[in-house]
Amino acid sequence: MKIHRENRIAAVVPTASMADIAFLLIIFFMLTTSFSPVKTSVDLPESVERAEVEQNSAIVAITTLNEIVFSDGDNPGFNVDSPEALAPHIQSLVRAIPNKQFVIKADRAVRYSSVDAVLDQLRRNGAKNIGLLTEQKRPGK
Amino acid sequence: MKIHRYRTPAEVPTASMADIAFLLIIFFMLTAVYSSTRGLEFAFPKDDPNQRNVQPQEAIHVKITGDGQYLVDRTPMTIQQMAGYVDQKMKQAPDKPVIVHALPDVPYYSMIDVFDVMRQLKVKNVSVPTQSEIERWRFFGYLE
Repeated sequence: MKIHRENRIAAVVPTASMADIAFLLIIFFMLTTSFSPVKTSVDLPESVERAEVEQNSAIVAITTLNEIVFSDGDNPGFNVDSPEALAPHIQSLVRAIPNKQFVIKADRAVRYSSVDAVLDQLRRNGAKNIGLLTEQKRPGK
Repeated sequence: MKIHRYRTPAEVPTASMADIAFLLIIFFMLTAVYSSTRGLEFAFPKDDPNQRNVQPQEAIHVKITGDGQYLVDRTPMTIQQMAGYVDQKMKQAPDKPVIVHALPDVPYYSMIDVFDVMRQLKVKNVSVPTQSEIERWRFFGYLE
């Protein structure tokens, strides 16, 4: 006797939850993307020790061409002609928030004197909280 | 006569939802600027009245003279030797200050390398004098 099977389940790939997974990922990427106000691309030096930089800290970027880009952390960065020209900006920020963090984002190959000039300005104008942006150094490198 | 109508079930077309979502994911992944938000904590030496009398001779003086060339208390050392030397000194006197003095022509990463070593050794008192300060120290005869 031939057994007649009635309810054949159609072969279907369950894609209903796909959209949920995808939207979850979108939300993850949106939240983890930190928008940096200074888009200057530099090749950062590497260090083993690294501490999290404060949010909304002011950024001073120094490129190999000795361009200096400054941002107060909330507004997009702008080019500054010389380290001395940073002074008024640093002063006004320090006056508003005495413990404002200033992050130096300098290219690894920059001459130290350029960094030194910026550090000198920061120090003269009362910046106390300074960070040096680095990449993670991989062991054995 | 009764007309029999085929009823299509009410359905929201969600098939393309996943496509749209993945497209957005790819967009966010590509536009996400790889922005580094971590770095070395850099503190200037604090103006502590108790530490004003620290003589520069007591400090470990690390002079960076070139790429990978260091003079530690006037002795040429490699970075590993320097780490060993500083570590040993720290064990004797944990508060011993370290002066990291990079010459102007040295690439920035050399200074970061040294600074990183000091941070790893948990040296409390690292000072990175700026060029103008070094000149002042020289003027007062603290530095050769």
